[in-house]
Amino acid sequence: MRVARLSATAFVIFVLMVVLGTLTSAHHSRAGYDAAPGSLVTNNGTVSNVIWRNPHVFVVWDVKDAGGNVVKWTGELSSPSTMLSEGMSRDTFKTGDPISATFMPAKAGTPHGLLIKVVRPDGKVVIDLSERRNLLEQ
Amino acid sequence: MRYGMRVFVVTVATVVASASSASSQAPGRTPERPTVPSVGAPAGWAQCPRCQNETDRREARARFKVEGHAFNPRDLSGVYYGGEGGNRLFADPPPFTALGKERFQATLGEKNAAGEYLHTKDTSGQGGGSPINCDPRGWPRLAAGNYGFEFIMLPDRVLQFFEQTHTWRTIWTDGRKLPENPPEQRWMGWTVGRWEGNTFIVESSGYDDRSWLAQAQPDGGWPHSDQIRVVERWRRLNYGTIEFQITIVDPEIYTKPWALRPVQVPLVPGTEIWEYFCVPSDFNSFNNDIYLPVATGEKK
Repeated sequence: MRVARLSATAFVIFVLMVVLGTLTSAHHSRAGYDAAPGSLVTNNGTVSNVIWRNPHVFVVWDVKDAGGNVVKWTGELSSPSTMLSEGMSRDTFKTGDPISATFMPAKAGTPHGLLIKVVRPDGKVVIDLSERRNLLEQ
Repeated sequence: MRYGMRVFVVTVATVVASASSASSQAPGRTPERPTVPSVGAPAGWAQCPRCQNETDRREARARFKVEGHAFNPRDLSGVYYGGEGGNRLFADPPPFTALGKERFQATLGEKNAAGEYLHTKDTSGQGGGSPINCDPRGWPRLAAGNYGFEFIMLPDRVLQFFEQTHTWRTIWTDGRKLPENPPEQRWMGWTVGRWEGNTFIVESSGYDDRSWLAQAQPDGGWPHSDQIRVVERWRRLNYGTIEFQITIVDPEIYTKPWALRPVQVPLVPGTEIWEYFCVPSDFNSFNNDIYLPVATGEKK
């Protein structure tokens, strides 16, 4: 009986180690983003800039907040070569393009996100890394 | 009692199997089914290794008839990308010497408020909040971050050209010996190669000790001294696959030689090396405008 209890305790500790280890190693290179399931945020805005440079590409889009003020959101992606493999080039977005952006938000509450999906108003998917998030860890 | 133990062992085995299956996705590999086709190269040019998606690679391997293609095992020419490499290639190091322990401690960086590692001591373009100076990654760290490399065979030397940080190393094959006391320490080492059967043996020494062997997990980097000697064994297993195995011999830092597991890297026909420099202004901009605000909630 005592051994069974010890086994159960050891098992619980083991599972915790596996789970915590996975969480720690999964997003260490993207410190600060909220990777928890259900944390994804979507907002709509217009593109104001695209920085097409190593180490990571980022897209800036303007979103009007509840008070009518424009907030500049910055969405991080992967390296330019990785984004080319995902069908995005440096001229995919033009200034003023309306987009719907889905991203992992910054836990600090700043207007930053790790972009997962970008869709145009006609429903055309420009980027979709939903099933390929490991690309964002590179 | 035995039943309890049996249940424990079976349950743990199940969890281990499931965890291992979940993590079997190698770094650098991506799932199939890209939603959007990749961006092709300009007419007359080729995509970079990492610019291809899995569909492109599969189609290129068929187009270039890679399966069963004739090959010369002593010709390493070609562009290679992928494989089961990454920082985790540098796993299970031997115990440190006292100096090794001290040098490793010095590589450990800061964490943010949530306890996430920021790799602040890494100055080779991989650190998040570290000072960016784009110091060369050097060899063998370039083996841990593969954006594609190309072997070019010349009569008296072999060149290995790396897309990441856009650099190369020269492996001299003209019979020269490694110098006992080289006049400069090099990020890529002083390097010679020779054939033993169909295995290309590469030996190097004379390294600058500021580089890391690779990022360590979960933090810091594996150090080396200027006395390090690196021995590599390269084999072209078939037309479409090259294999390498690296052994680190550095008695000042590690109490035993550190033999890394062999890694097989696929040929990626129909690609060419593009330009990926570590540009200090770009990396600093990324660090200050994106990484730090996200990771720490503040700008530098």
